[in-house]
This record gives sequence, structure tokens and C-alpha cells, in this order.
Amino acid sequence: MKKLHLILIILLASGIGVIMSTLADSSTYSTFTAAAEEPEEVVHVVGTLAPGKPLEYDPEVNANLFSFYMLDKDGQEKKVLFTGTKPQDFERSEQIVITGKCSGSDFVASKILMKCPSKYNNGQTVEISADSNKEG
Amino acid sequence: MDTITYVGEHLWPGKLGNTFITLSFVASLLAAVSYFIGIRYKDESWRKLGRNAFYVHGLAVLGIIFTMFYMIVNHMFEYQYVWQHSSKALPVRYMLSCFWEGQEGSFLLWTFWHVILGLILIRKTGNWENSVMGVVSTVQVFLASMILGIYLGDFHLGSNPFVLLREHPEYRNLPFVQIPDYLKNLDGQGLNPLLQNYWMTIHPPILFLGFAATLVPFAYACGGLIERRYSEWVKPALPWTFFGIMILGTGILMGGAWAYEALSFGGFWAWDPVENASLVPWIILVAAGHLMLIFNNRKRSLKSTMILSFLSFILVLYSTFLTRSGILGDTSVHAFTDLGMSGQLLIYLLFFLVAPFVVFFIRYKDIPAEKDEDALNSREFWIFIASLVLIISAFQVTFTTSIPVINKIFGTSLAPPTEAVQHFNRWQTPLAVIICILIAVTQYFKYKSTPTAEFSKKIRRPLIFAILASIAIAFLMEITELFHILLLFSSLFAAAANTDYIFKVQGGKLKKAGSSVAHVGFALIMLGALISMSKSTVISQNRSTVDLSQLGKDFSNNENIMLYRGDTVPMGDYYVTYKDEEEKGIDHYFEIEYLEKKGETYTPAFSLHPLVQDNPRMGLLAEPSTRHQIHRDIYSHVTYAPVKKKGDETTTKTMTMKQGDTVFVSTARLIFERIEQETDRERFHLKDSDIAVSAVIHVTDMKGETTTAKPVYSIRGSYIIPEPAELPEYGMKLNFTAIDTETGKITLELTEQVKQKDFIVMRAIVFPWINVLWIGSILMMIGSILAILERRKKSSASASS
Repeated sequence: MKKLHLILIILLASGIGVIMSTLADSSTYSTFTAAAEEPEEVVHVVGTLAPGKPLEYDPEVNANLFSFYMLDKDGQEKKVLFTGTKPQDFERSEQIVITGKCSGSDFVASKILMKCPSKYNNGQTVEISADSNKEG
Repeated sequence: MDTITYVGEHLWPGKLGNTFITLSFVASLLAAVSYFIGIRYKDESWRKLGRNAFYVHGLAVLGIIFTMFYMIVNHMFEYQYVWQHSSKALPVRYMLSCFWEGQEGSFLLWTFWHVILGLILIRKTGNWENSVMGVVSTVQVFLASMILGIYLGDFHLGSNPFVLLREHPEYRNLPFVQIPDYLKNLDGQGLNPLLQNYWMTIHPPILFLGFAATLVPFAYACGGLIERRYSEWVKPALPWTFFGIMILGTGILMGGAWAYEALSFGGFWAWDPVENASLVPWIILVAAGHLMLIFNNRKRSLKSTMILSFLSFILVLYSTFLTRSGILGDTSVHAFTDLGMSGQLLIYLLFFLVAPFVVFFIRYKDIPAEKDEDALNSREFWIFIASLVLIISAFQVTFTTSIPVINKIFGTSLAPPTEAVQHFNRWQTPLAVIICILIAVTQYFKYKSTPTAEFSKKIRRPLIFAILASIAIAFLMEITELFHILLLFSSLFAAAANTDYIFKVQGGKLKKAGSSVAHVGFALIMLGALISMSKSTVISQNRSTVDLSQLGKDFSNNENIMLYRGDTVPMGDYYVTYKDEEEKGIDHYFEIEYLEKKGETYTPAFSLHPLVQDNPRMGLLAEPSTRHQIHRDIYSHVTYAPVKKKGDETTTKTMTMKQGDTVFVSTARLIFERIEQETDRERFHLKDSDIAVSAVIHVTDMKGETTTAKPVYSIRGSYIIPEPAELPEYGMKLNFTAIDTETGKITLELTEQVKQKDFIVMRAIVFPWINVLWIGSILMMIGSILAILERRKKSSASASS
């Protein structure tokens, strides 16, 4: 066998490896109902802040716990616990993407990505992310 | 609708600008056509026409840019671009930044660099001018179309920077633009305060010059293919490729430095899609440049060289598509918003992807290829292997970043990896290990073949050094993970082997040492990244009583700590105090003092001033502050602060009191002593006929300090004029609003400032030895410059001989 063939095989194998590992590591966009059925799986849930429900963040008790209620795309409401600080201007968010998994009756999120309406521009959104698990 | 005659608008700059845009588009089209005809008919006049058309195009592009500057400097807010990106108060030094803040401006910056490179190429390309400039001009046709702003039915071609605010589709219904003299009091939206720093001034031009530089090897490779001069194009393209590697690399590292210094990523690289989009073309350009070196010396690997020279520019287009079409959507924090040009961008991308590869495969058989195989002990073999490793690395980054594109094409709903950093590192760390080892050994291989004894003799010293040094460092710094140890070893090996090469093999001649210096730089970047990221420690540990582990061990997080003002808590080697908050405009600076304990006393070591910006466009944003020491950085970032909002910081309550009554309010005790006739008539501007009394109130605060407040109640005719007593040091205001003459009871209105709970929540991280990374970056840049200079000298020497 020629060296070139060997190289091509290695290249092809690593290409397949890249694709497989990406598919294995990638998570899915899900809903609260689906997330509750698979409590072990980390998923992304897209939704909005539930109107009229409290946002609780009391750094004097715990600076690393923030909770709120979110409606997913099916309109189902769930309490979300976020293990980090309350993202600034969270109240203004018009869309939220949370990453995490269901734990009992709550959803525990390790990451929040939110879109805020920009003040003068109806169409445009600004995204702010808060990431609690940053390990090098 | 009635036509409104607007007052005070300057319409001529817009008309002028649009003339320039049309001219730049038509001229680039003419240049492209003439140059391409010139290839076929070896007639000088076509080349001259192409060249002159390109000059006109260049002048028109400069005209567009000058017109836009003129509008920005003169605050012509009747134009949407000026209104949206600048304001009257914007300091002159940020005018450049607001020029390229928007998409149209950044397209123009890119176009501008292509013009500059084109003008140099016209002088330097010699008999390559027709094909190389033909390709450059074609690229310019597409770029110029990005700012045309023509509507063809529903499809709009480009987004025009000279659109009037009142005619812009998004703003034409704003109420104020219906008023004829709306301009009189109109101020612009201003440059996003987040971008008002020097990074925004220097980073985009360098990054875009790097993007533009990938066009040159692309144009030469296309030229070689079009003119069937398959093997001649490599030599002139080579110095340009390394120029691109140097500039684009600098741009990317500068972006990392910006993220590290001024944004709150908590690191210099987060594998964000936008970062990846600029990294991938660089990786491919590096591979292309190294294959060109092989071809230059051994006339081998021509096809791969060609493919990679195409790909680097195509990947720049792909990254433009990713970041500007809105397709990244939920996955990136700093992609541009969609201007409705995704279709156009896609056509642009596909054209430059399909056209060169179609010709490439049609003429595949004509392109010379080597018959024999590279020897295992030859330099070309290992450079080729390194290029393949770079391709795998680029493919992995691209594939994961393209998840939103995959979703679009296949209708899937994949989300990006939850632990993105770990996902990328799992691939990129082993690949970096291989690359570093190849960087270490490849210089010691000779082209064609290398005597084994000579090779092993030369490589022995750096190898032994790297083994010993990596064992020592791994032991001292407690690096335990296998791949981290391997990267530690291989980066030290690469740095040592190349340093040794400079002195032992090249005799310490700086002029020749360019590539070795650049390789040492790259190795140090890897080493610095490895140590600073894998050994970074969060020193702001949460010490609250709530046990977070009840939430599940996966989510335990205690990286943020709450500090009341005046609190001192231990953090790492330091004791940290939150001392003060200072407001400068929209910026709230927090003074964080780091103290060192020496014996029983605490001595201040340094202070950091992280800030929270009350950004009118983006809400509250945090900017970290970092203490740089030689062996480590201490990074502090306010993650949450109850920033005061003006206007809602007081409460008012009404009290009725009789003489001798005591009332407790939130921060003080008030005693109503007596009513007095107010005699100080001058002070309160009282007329003789006015009746004025004042209430004597003793105010005692929590510390026991007492003062007397005398709010005045006066009657002039049928009007009541109260004169409140202000007690700023107590944060209160007393207003005497009524008096009941029968009972002697008075009504007081107390306005109290709500005492904001004065605390911050912060995160502090120590990054050890991050300076190794920055030193590596500088070395890589210097080394590349040396190599380009040397390469240019060589090629001009061989051209003249």
C-alpha cells in the first residue's frame, strides 16, 4: 500500500470522527415536556419569560442562584434555577434560550442566552449570554 | 400622502455617494471584463483599459469613503447610517470606529483593502496582471454590489449607506420624520458605548486586511489555472500568503486580547462562532503557505497547494456568510444582524466556490503531478503531513460551527454542544500536540532526504531539554491530564528545537531566522494557552450557607461572591475589599482593593476598577479589570451590581405630628420640638404681608448625631408656599405642607433616599503565565515579518538574475 493511500484513509477516518463526535456532543432544541421525560439529557429550551411571575435573585442569600419562570414554545411553564448571577436586564428579555436539564419539578440551567429588544430598533435584537460553567 | 418639504437636509452628499457607488460597481465590472479579454487576446490595450477601469474603481471607493466621513463629521443625521452609528457628542477619535460599526461600512473597509492590494498588485504582478487583476476585479464587482441598494422586485441587491433616514424601510414610519424640520433637534443614536475603545479602532482594519490578503493567493491560483501556467504562480504568491498569515494571525490574536481585556468572556478564546469563522481561513492559509514552500523547493504537491489557496479565500467568504446572514441566530453573541442579504451572500459564496473548482477539475489532468512518493525522511513529507493535520483541525472547527447551516439544509434541530470549549479542546488539543512535534522536528529534515544519524544528533538536545522541562513544570504546576502533559512537552519541544535551530544550524543570523522565530512564537502561544487556561483558578469562591450541591453535582457553581461595601474577604493569596463606586457618565466603576497580609497587618497590594456600563442600547454590560503581573494575571469582573437608576431612588411619606411627638423613619429619629415664627424674611424672600412659620425638628441618625431641621410654611394671600428643609447628609428632605391651627398638629412630608443595598457580586480568576502567550504572539508576528522580508529579497534576486 502506498503512503498516499494510508494518508487518505487516516484523513477520511478523522473526517468521519469529526462528524460523529459533533453529532454526539451536540444537544437538541427541546421543550419542557420532552426534557422532563429524559431527565439525564442536557437540552436547549427556547422560550419567553412567564409574565407576572417573580424573578428571584438575592445575592445576600446566594450570589450563585437565580430563579425565574419560563414559558417554552408549547406554552408550558416551568421554574428555572440558574446557577449563576442574574443576567443584567433580564426583565427586558424577549426570548430566552436555556441550556440544562430537568431536576424534579424544576429545570436547572447552566447557561442562559437572551435576546433583548434594542431600544430604537424593532427588528433588531441584542443577545447577551451568561455562562456559569466556564472551565478551561 | 402630502409631500412634505423638509428643512435643512443636505441631499447632495447622498447623491454624490450614490454616484460613486454606481461608478465603483460599473468600473469594477469593466475592469474584470477587460482584464479577462486581455488574457485571451494578448493585446496591451485591453490590459490598459482594465487597469484604468480599476483606477477609476479605486477612486470611486475612496470617494464613497470620503463622502461617508464627510457626513459623519458634519453630523448629517438625515442619513440613516450616520444617524444610527454616530452622534453629536461622539469624540473625533471614534469617528473611524463608527464608520465600520455597521455592515455597509465594514464591507467598505474590506473593499478598501482590496483596492489597496489591487493597486500594489498592478505594479508588482508583471505578466500576471491580466488574470490576477481580473479575479480581483471580479471580487470587487460582488463587493460593490453589497452596497448598491437596488430593489429588483422583492429582491434587494445590497444595502446602501446613503439612504435617508426618512426613506429607510425600517424608520420611514417613525413619527418624527413626518415633521418638516425634524433635523433641527435630531441627534444620532451614537456609537455603541461598548465599542468606544481603542480596540474597535485598531482591530477591524487589521482583521479585514487579513481577510483581504487571502484574496492574493486565491487570485494567483486562479490565474495559474486560467492561463494554464500551473506551476509559475506559486513563487509570486508565496510572500503574499505569508503576509496574509501574519496580518490575519495578528488580527485574530488581537480579537482574543480584546475579549480578554475588555469583554467579560473570562478568557481570551471561547470558541465562539465568530471567532472560529476568522480562525479557520487562517489555519488553511498556513497550510497553503507551507505547501507553497514545498512546491518552491521540490516542485511537488501542486494540486493540494492550489486547492488550499482557493479554500482560504472561500472560507473568508463562508465566514462572512455565517456572521452576516443571521443564520448563526441563537448560537453566537456577536454576529451581525440580518440585513436581508443572505441570498446575495450565498450567491457570492457559491460563485467563488464553484467557478475555480469546476475549472480545476476540467483541467485536472493537465496540472503537473509528481510520479514518485515523498521519502519518509524528507522535509516535504512532514510539511505535507502537518498541512493535513491543519486541514483536519480546520474541518473540525468548521463543522461544529456550521451546525445552524446543517439544521437549515437538513431540517434538523441540532443545538451546539453544551460544553463547547471541552468539545473543541478534545479535538484541537491532540492536533496541537501533533503540530507542535512536527514544528519541532521538520526543520531538521532536509528536502529530499536526511541522513538519520545527523538528524538524531541534532534533535537530541532539544528533545532532552523538553522532556526534563515538561516533567519539572508538570510536577510544579500539578498538570495531570495526559493531553495537557503531552501539549506541554510538545510545545516546549517545538520552542526548544527552533531556538536551537536558530543558533546551532543558522549560526544566529537574525535575517534567516524568520520562520524559526515564528515557530517559537506559535509554540509559546500554545504553551501560554495551555497553562493559563488549564491552570486558571477562580478565587472568588462562594461561601454562602446555601449548599448548591442540592441542585445536582453537574451544576455546582460557586464562582461568584457577594461583597458588601467595606467587606474584606479572603480570595486566593489576597484579601479583597469592595471600597467604592464611582459614576462617570454611564459607567459605574467599582474600586476593588486587593490586600496582602503581612504578619498581622494588611497592606494594599493594588486596586482594580471593573465597571458596569448602563448602556442605553444594550442594557447593563460589565467590563472586567485585570492586574497584570509577570507570572500571572488577576482578573476581576463584576457579574451583578444593583446599579442605581435615576429618578426612582426616593420614597415619600406623609406624617402628622403634634408638638413633642417622636417618629422613627428608616435611618433616623425625628422629634417635633416646636413651631417658630420665621424671622429670617430675606432668606426666604418673604414679603411683609406674608405669614411664615417654621417647624423645629430634631433629627438624630443611627450614630447618634443630631441636627435641627427647620422647614418653613408660609402663606401669601391665598397661596401656601412651603420651603422644605434639605438634609443631604441624612439623605432626606422635610416639607412642611399643612398646619392645623386648632389642634396644633402639623403635616410633614418626608422624602427619603432609598438606601441602595451597597454590594456587588464579582468573579475573580487568576490566569497563570498568560504573558507567555502574548510574548509568543509578538514573536510569531516578528518572525513572519522577517521571513517575508527574506523571501522578498530572494524572489527579487531570482527575478533579476
